[in-house]
Amino acid sequence: MSTLTSSPDLSFYQVAKGIRSWIFTLDHKRIALLYFYSISTFFLVGVVLGLLLRLELIAPGKTIVEPHTYNQLFTLHGVIMIFLFIIPVIPAIFGNFFLPIMLGTDDVSFPRVNLLSWYLYILGGILALLTLVVGDGPPDTGWTFYAPYSVKTGTNVSIAVLAAFILGFSSILTGLNFIVTIHRLRYPGMSFFQMPLFAWALYATAWIQVLATPIIGITLLMIFVERVFGVGLFDPSIGGDPILYQHLFWIYSHPAVYIMALPAMGIISEIIPTFSHRTIFGYKAIAFSSLAIAFVGYFVWGHHMFTSGMSGPARIIFSILTFLVAIPSAVKVFNWVATMYKGSIDLQPPMLYAMAFIFQFLIGGLTGLVVGALATDIHLHDTHFVVGHFHYVMFGGAGFAFFGGIHYWFPKIWGRMYNVRWANIAFTLLFIGFNTLYFPMLILGIMGMPRRYYDYLPEFQPLNVISTVGSWILFIGLIIMIVNLINGYRKGAIAGRNPWGGVTLEWQTKSPPPLQNFDKAPELSEHGPYDFK
Amino acid sequence: METTFVLPNSGHNRDDMSSKMGMWLFLFTELLLFGGLFLVYMIYRFVYHDDFLEASLNLQVLFGAVNTIVLLTSSMTVAMSITAMQKGNAQLSKRLIWLTILSAGIFLVIKFFEWSAKFEHGLFPGMAHYGELANGERLFFFLYFFMTGLHALHVIIGAIFLLYVIKSIQKQKVRQDKYMLLENAGLYWHLVDLIWIYLFPLFYLIH
Amino acid sequence: MNHQDKPSSHAHEVHITSYKDHASTFLGLVLLTIMTVTVSVFGADLYTLTVLTALAIASTKAIVVALNFMHLKHDPKIFRAMIGIVLLLFIVFAVLTLVDYMIRP
Repeated sequence: MSTLTSSPDLSFYQVAKGIRSWIFTLDHKRIALLYFYSISTFFLVGVVLGLLLRLELIAPGKTIVEPHTYNQLFTLHGVIMIFLFIIPVIPAIFGNFFLPIMLGTDDVSFPRVNLLSWYLYILGGILALLTLVVGDGPPDTGWTFYAPYSVKTGTNVSIAVLAAFILGFSSILTGLNFIVTIHRLRYPGMSFFQMPLFAWALYATAWIQVLATPIIGITLLMIFVERVFGVGLFDPSIGGDPILYQHLFWIYSHPAVYIMALPAMGIISEIIPTFSHRTIFGYKAIAFSSLAIAFVGYFVWGHHMFTSGMSGPARIIFSILTFLVAIPSAVKVFNWVATMYKGSIDLQPPMLYAMAFIFQFLIGGLTGLVVGALATDIHLHDTHFVVGHFHYVMFGGAGFAFFGGIHYWFPKIWGRMYNVRWANIAFTLLFIGFNTLYFPMLILGIMGMPRRYYDYLPEFQPLNVISTVGSWILFIGLIIMIVNLINGYRKGAIAGRNPWGGVTLEWQTKSPPPLQNFDKAPELSEHGPYDFK
Repeated sequence: METTFVLPNSGHNRDDMSSKMGMWLFLFTELLLFGGLFLVYMIYRFVYHDDFLEASLNLQVLFGAVNTIVLLTSSMTVAMSITAMQKGNAQLSKRLIWLTILSAGIFLVIKFFEWSAKFEHGLFPGMAHYGELANGERLFFFLYFFMTGLHALHVIIGAIFLLYVIKSIQKQKVRQDKYMLLENAGLYWHLVDLIWIYLFPLFYLIH
Repeated sequence: MNHQDKPSSHAHEVHITSYKDHASTFLGLVLLTIMTVTVSVFGADLYTLTVLTALAIASTKAIVVALNFMHLKHDPKIFRAMIGIVLLLFIVFAVLTLVDYMIRP
């Protein structure tokens, strides 16, 4: 039970101790950490699944698992990585921890709803893992649960879609909380255009969370009901259309990728000014581009369905809209690079991750255009090219932004610094490992290797071997990163209020912050949130 | 232990506008939840127009119309209950909320009779007569039961919410200077009404 | 100290809708209901026009409920702006999906 008032000399950790003070907390910072530990756990499960997939694919034919198990592996890998990791990770951890502080307030608008969000996350996560141990095992449908197979298969689809439904609710409540917080709790004198860009990113994301998630909620409910009653809305035998399922599924799942990307871009917009010691280039352009991405991103879902049987004109419309949504993303990239130009660059670990983000998101985005174009998509749909594309944006982009965020805000959250040299080593291995793992997939896809196939032609093997080795390098980098961070947490040097010279409000307060976030009134600059004097 | 300064924009201060905004955002999620079903309805009605027409003849307009009036009445009573609370008349406010809950009950009873009639004719998915219908008709009835069923669930939830508000009034947690909970329950109730306002013509008034 | 009991910080006059106004709204809605039933039972079978008429009347009723019962007419404009966006979104979803089905061979 968090007390409303406490001495600003105490950090938020010190005001209460014991497990009950954590799992019943209303403090947004503790909730953020609850998310951090639970999301990281699920992430590692997802990583292990990914490593197993790559191990299977190191050679054609059977290597370690049967075909059916392989299908279950990539399904669970996708479900965990998407619903339990990349969608919640930045809003639930860094959004929860830093949004109130960046706005100059002491909590989100609805603290109890915030805690409920986390409970729902845990419930959804448990259900997802439950599919591993009951009945016929995890679903083998792919994380997309396409009808009619998802209705017919004997595997634990019902439990999995129930998990996704609950996780969706968790996401909705977080978004709802952030929208109201941003509208109502900004410090006096802080207009919308004086908020940090991370707040803008969270705002745009929150609208997607609130408006898009219910669609997948109802769609998964339709699948659930169809499984229970044996007849349903996508059942061809009663005139139902499986493509309608795809429409509904992607009406959410495309905007969902912007739930993943926008907060990540928000982190980059924070890191780059700080480590260039320059104000961000084009603040309003970046703010509006976040809204534009969210808006246009609602209307491009059909590009996942180009080969499914949609009508021709529909395909053309969706392709055009897809090309449009790339424009605001490009605006951001130009503005980040322009910020760095003639800045005083400080190559600390967060900056390395930010620069890797720009490089990898660029590749991801450009390959997205390749599949967004109708003619090329015919060849590349359902090949490893797509797998490479989305891992470049989701992992090389959002994932690396997450790692960058950890390294950026680590001293603020835990009051200590990690070893920078080991952080750099970890980064190097992660970068090399990531690109070795995923770049070959782009080539393999063009060569014609399908995705979600257990087996492949012998000519694809050399690149698959390289890719699998890349996964091992990546994994080693990940371990080093984690060990280094844990060491920093336990015995790192004490960090001051502002080790990086940042100018947003979180760097004015103590490290770690007190319960009420600030020990003295936050000071706003009249020159905006990125005032590097 | 005391704070050396207090944030003027503390998240712990009561803010009715935040409460209302949060409720509206939640209503948006409900709108889109049903919206997905309306989308499916729209597509299948477009594709199976004649079958939908045929199937809708099984529904009685009178029952649908009466239920529409019942829900409209309940919307009026809950709106009036807020007026009463604003004017300081907690007793009247509670009575009006009870009327709203009563209306919810009447709605559900009528629904029960409608559904029972369908079951008797074997029109529920999985039953014998259902299997003999044309494709579009089967989709119609699947949507009918799914959408009115989900709606009825929301009627029940809304009624429970209103019961909770009555208790809160009795405990003085909702009163003339603090009635956001009642307003929010009212908003939720109006949403339930709104959904039915669309369900009625789309299922009952096709011809 | 519990901050939850104090009155809200915003100072504007709260608009109270009279019982009479609520009753009038209700009557208007009943009239619209009668209208929509009449059109459907006695009107010609005009297919698309029947759908559009039914939806138009339903939408009118919805707007009346939203503005009056749900108090949007007197609430800060931000709420109407948000609702507008939500409706726009839904309409585009519907149109884009329908486009696929309308043009299928």
